[in-house]
Amino acid sequence: MTASTLPEAALGVLPRADGSAKYSHAGYTVTASVNGPIEAQRRDEHPYEAHVDVIVRPAAGVGGTRERHLESILQSSLTQIILVKNFPRSLIQVVLQVEDTPENDYVNTKLVQASLNFAIMPALFQTSVLALLSAGVPMRATAAATAVAVVPEDGAKKIVVDPSPRQIEIAQSVHVLAFTSQEELLLAESEGDFTVKEWDDVYETAQKICCRPASTKEGMEMVLDEEDAGGPDMRHFLRSTLESKVTADLHWK
Amino acid sequence: MPREAEPSLNEREFVLKALQENTRLDGRELDQYRPLELTFGDQYGVADVTLGKTRVLAKASAEVTVPYTDRPLDGIFNIATELSPMTSPAFEVNRPTETEVLISRLLEKTVRRSGALDTESLCLVAGQKCWSIRVDVHVLSHDGNLIDAACFAVVAALRHFRKPDTSMEGGVLTVYTPAEREPVPLSWLHSPFCITWSFFGEEGEIALLDATWLEEQVRVGSCTISLNKHGEICQIAKLGGTPVEAVALLQCTNVALSRAKDFSAFLDRKLAEDAKRRDKGGLLAELSAENDR
Repeated sequence: MTASTLPEAALGVLPRADGSAKYSHAGYTVTASVNGPIEAQRRDEHPYEAHVDVIVRPAAGVGGTRERHLESILQSSLTQIILVKNFPRSLIQVVLQVEDTPENDYVNTKLVQASLNFAIMPALFQTSVLALLSAGVPMRATAAATAVAVVPEDGAKKIVVDPSPRQIEIAQSVHVLAFTSQEELLLAESEGDFTVKEWDDVYETAQKICCRPASTKEGMEMVLDEEDAGGPDMRHFLRSTLESKVTADLHWK
Repeated sequence: MPREAEPSLNEREFVLKALQENTRLDGRELDQYRPLELTFGDQYGVADVTLGKTRVLAKASAEVTVPYTDRPLDGIFNIATELSPMTSPAFEVNRPTETEVLISRLLEKTVRRSGALDTESLCLVAGQKCWSIRVDVHVLSHDGNLIDAACFAVVAALRHFRKPDTSMEGGVLTVYTPAEREPVPLSWLHSPFCITWSFFGEEGEIALLDATWLEEQVRVGSCTISLNKHGEICQIAKLGGTPVEAVALLQCTNVALSRAKDFSAFLDRKLAEDAKRRDKGGLLAELSAENDR
């Protein structure tokens, strides 16, 4: 499976949820639904702010500690960007259903106990942001995430954006970084051995992907731009997805 | 958790009155299904079924495990149905509702107990190693008739699924990865489908197929018939509700048979289309190490 495909997204795919989105990139496909603000359960109720509930459901098998870990990371970063103070004593529920993950053709996977990979984080993050936007939940900023791996190659170390399962297997460290639309670092999670220098390089690469300045040039020149930067332009992608959704919705005007 | 909103008295009366005049709110015939769509994923064994606004995703997976001690010659086959809050916020995680229990029970009876999948063929080494096949049913959106959609998705996913190829040489079992050998299909014996009738009216005299969520909320009873295209009935479930005339029920089974034939033809066509899409260059037949049954 090729990792360098462009991301794809659709908004409002589920008719009964308040907001929903389907996102696929680098072999990962995730569908998300957002309901909220709705009535919170007693134990989740907070007198001053809304409780953000994130549920990650693997495609096959039952969820375990890895899913709970991803949920807690997502929950804390989404709480940062949603204006939770606007909805005291309520609940904003984000359900993420993993549909497809890239397979490693060289290994037979154990599937009954699902074990989600760290590299699925950007897909989960992007989908939840898109679904929140589709549900019209007020947020202080949008955000984009990306996964970066440091892979040893002929003695030297190479930085790989959106690593494939095979690359993750041989990688020395895997990092997930998320930036808000105001170019602030929202999330930084790392796995493996790395130096400060390596992390700085990773940070720069991720920032380039998540917050590339809006290009004034259109058409041919933009295509060229994309090539030399290496990796997709997440901020532009988020914007264009929403623009097309809004145009489709306001078609009647 | 918020409760599901019930239809108001006016809404209820409106639906029932319309049905008495042989009209459904969406303009369908009484025995007409909503448009059925089926898409397969990039991986083997992923089926996405859309029936009107109802959407169900089924994913099949396989793993080598130890068989149950009381059935050393059989493989393991499980269907996991869990309704997440994605279906509706009224469903909670880790707290099965009645709907969920009924669906998993019916799927179990239809697909597992009818012997659709030959579990003996899943045995690798008697009493030591066998395949464990698992199907996960994810309900993404619920607009009535979950059972029919879920059953169709499970059957489609299992027929599309390929498990890794294996070989036995001198007592050593080898499981080949997809890179080494093309995976092989499961040994599938017949394809059962669920057809659900909903009954309305004082004595359940109005029967209709593929009820929407609104219709499901106002019906007085329902009956699920599972059968394959040869007309072999796997199970009939009529769980409570208003009693229905036996003759009417017989008529229902006859219509169900024609629907099962439609489903079967539709699934065969979709599987053939998908096989054609995957078989680029016509090399798949050569790559396959599978023997004809």
